[in-house]
Amino acid sequence: MPVEVIMPKVDMDMASGKLAVWHVEEGATVKKGAALFDIETDKAAMEVEAPASGRLHHILAAPGQVIAVGAPLAFIYAEGEAVGPAPSVASAAATATPEPAPAAADAVVTTPVAAIAAVEVANGTPRATPVARRLAREAAIALESVIGSGPRQRIQKDDVEREIARRAAIKPAAPAPAPVYAAEPAAPAVWSEESGDLHVTTRKGTGTPLLLIHGFAADSAGWMALERALPRDLPLIRIDLPGHGRSPRRRIAGFADLARLVVQAFDRAAEGPVHLLGHSLGGALALALADIRPRQIKTLTLLAPAGLGPEIDGAALNGIARASATESLAPWLKRLTARPDGISHDFAKAAMLARLDPDLRAVQSDMARVLFPDGVQGFDLTAALDRVTAPTALIWGRDDHILPWSQALKAPGEVALHLLRGVGHIPHIEDPEALASLIGRHLRP
Amino acid sequence: MNAQTAIPEVKTREMSYAEAIRDAMAIALERDPTVILMGEDIGVYGGAFQVTGDLVERFGTDRVMDTPISELGGAGVAVGAALTGLKPIFEFQFSDFAALAMEQIVNQAAKMRYMLGGEAAVPLVFRMPAGSGTGAAAQHSQSFEAWFGHVPGLKVVQPSTPADAKGLLLAALEDPDPVIIFEHKLLYKMKAQVPEGYYTTPIGKAQIMRPGRDVTIVASAIMVHRALEAAEKLAKDGIDAEVIDLRSVRPIDRDTIIASVRKTGRLLCVYEGVRTLGVGAEISAMIAESEAFDYLDAPILRLGGAEAPIPYNPDLERAAVPQAPAIEAAARQLVRREV
Repeated sequence: MPVEVIMPKVDMDMASGKLAVWHVEEGATVKKGAALFDIETDKAAMEVEAPASGRLHHILAAPGQVIAVGAPLAFIYAEGEAVGPAPSVASAAATATPEPAPAAADAVVTTPVAAIAAVEVANGTPRATPVARRLAREAAIALESVIGSGPRQRIQKDDVEREIARRAAIKPAAPAPAPVYAAEPAAPAVWSEESGDLHVTTRKGTGTPLLLIHGFAADSAGWMALERALPRDLPLIRIDLPGHGRSPRRRIAGFADLARLVVQAFDRAAEGPVHLLGHSLGGALALALADIRPRQIKTLTLLAPAGLGPEIDGAALNGIARASATESLAPWLKRLTARPDGISHDFAKAAMLARLDPDLRAVQSDMARVLFPDGVQGFDLTAALDRVTAPTALIWGRDDHILPWSQALKAPGEVALHLLRGVGHIPHIEDPEALASLIGRHLRP
Repeated sequence: MNAQTAIPEVKTREMSYAEAIRDAMAIALERDPTVILMGEDIGVYGGAFQVTGDLVERFGTDRVMDTPISELGGAGVAVGAALTGLKPIFEFQFSDFAALAMEQIVNQAAKMRYMLGGEAAVPLVFRMPAGSGTGAAAQHSQSFEAWFGHVPGLKVVQPSTPADAKGLLLAALEDPDPVIIFEHKLLYKMKAQVPEGYYTTPIGKAQIMRPGRDVTIVASAIMVHRALEAAEKLAKDGIDAEVIDLRSVRPIDRDTIIASVRKTGRLLCVYEGVRTLGVGAEISAMIAESEAFDYLDAPILRLGGAEAPIPYNPDLERAAVPQAPAIEAAARQLVRREV
């Protein structure tokens, strides 16, 4: 029987997702694990892999449609399997409405099933069917690391089977884990370099745009919460760093190399002066950009920026870059927020879902090795900060475990310094409202 | 529909479910002089559903006896006859009327062997026309198999095909203890090939009517056919349902059901009796307690009769018990992870 392709639930409060694009056409061959379609959720954009190999049929959702979590999107038939009529026409009809007008695009197409699916969040132990539990037990896999596709995120048999297959596929690619502080530089992981410009997305609006540069191991989707808190008409430009988000996986030789790519992206994307905001590594890059294109930067906002001192939690960076399962990712993610419980299990799971590709992890591990050798920030931008002419604000969480806020004290006197209470390394996720209001004040005067 | 019991080498003949039962009784009367038939209007009238037919003409009133309109009295005589060495087949006009004879069935027939230390036995067969669908309303349409299945000392079977109706009746006569056969009234006219001559269908063995990989549907009596109909529809959408004919409520064939659920990981129980505390509840619990539990990939679902007396209105009567579309929908839900 055909395997159902459903809208996955990748975030704790996700009720629906927008289908962005299909990577496979109706009737075409798909390979299990290959990119099948992209979704844009409230918080993230991500690629979804094919749950099975075979041929794709009965595509029920068109790009742009908002589909409830758990609702079917298409079916994958095994090679040679007879293609029947679209299974369960009733619920298919409910979702396969023609592409809605832009105004209606946010209307959620709900099936009764999906309504149930959206309600419950696992509290404590994950929901799993008996057979899923047994298989996980036999394979020594923690259920917490498995993403459930059943009703209310229940983990089903094939979810565990998929996880087992995924791990089996990763093993040869990831030999003995390199120590975090390798005495000898570890051999670069094998991944094929891509070419092309950095991926840039924009949000239209009026006035001077705010250009956003994300941090290490993040991507532009991470700005979602902040974007919602910012004025609706503020135009945005977001740059995905190489090997991050949707940008090509390019090998970089060092910080300068990376900064050059960002400047190139800026030159292509910006039509005039911008407000510039960067977080962490993106903060250092924003500073470098402001140093190179001073006349085009109206204001500069640095969010826990890198580059202002040698100290950095290199173990966390490497841990995040390398983690191949939710269990190994979650402990490092918990260092990002002020308090460890700031990162929920579902958040970690969703984060891991976006990091399933071993190549992506290899690219980022290599980048970490280049930028933060021996767990030290290998670049220093304090001189650039001294040179910046644009009004600059430094915003730092007092409980930042990755980069100590004391590095902010290197800033010259004219730089505004905001030290947020009860906030860690990711203020734009931990307290987007407070951050948005600070940014608003900084951009307006 | 195909009689699953038929063995290729054996000569078969097409007959209806009612004819198959009559054939079994005729064979039993011929080969065993201790077999007698008892019941209301089973003689010249031929039985409430014309199952005994002309047997009184062939075997005489000593062997085919009309009993007075007292189920309690008739059943009591049958129990006594069995205790003294005869093998009575006692027909109730409707299984509902067995309620009048509960004392004899539950307290006497089922208990004798145990209370007399194995010194006595009650080799007795109760035939009970059961089920809804005939417009006979609340007092003539019930499905009591769970009631009787609850009594140790009784065996309870529900043939779903003509071949099984014959084979299970002959097996019941071979059994040294009381056996209750629920004959679904809607099946009496169902025709199929039935092996000729004497054979028995083992009591306590379920039968896989349709093998499948995706979901196990355990059904009994008329529900077997509705489940098969649903399975055909599901097959068109690539859902491969395994349909099991339970055949016997007591004893229940654990092995067949457990093996099937281990294979499919999903279980749907379909029965006509009231859903709550019904046969499906027992099967569901049995699976939950068994080694098949660790193979379940979905909750167990039950489809049973409504929590209400069977209505007279034909639409409501249909709605009160599982029909093929509901079985199809439930199986689909299981496979599509909607539950």
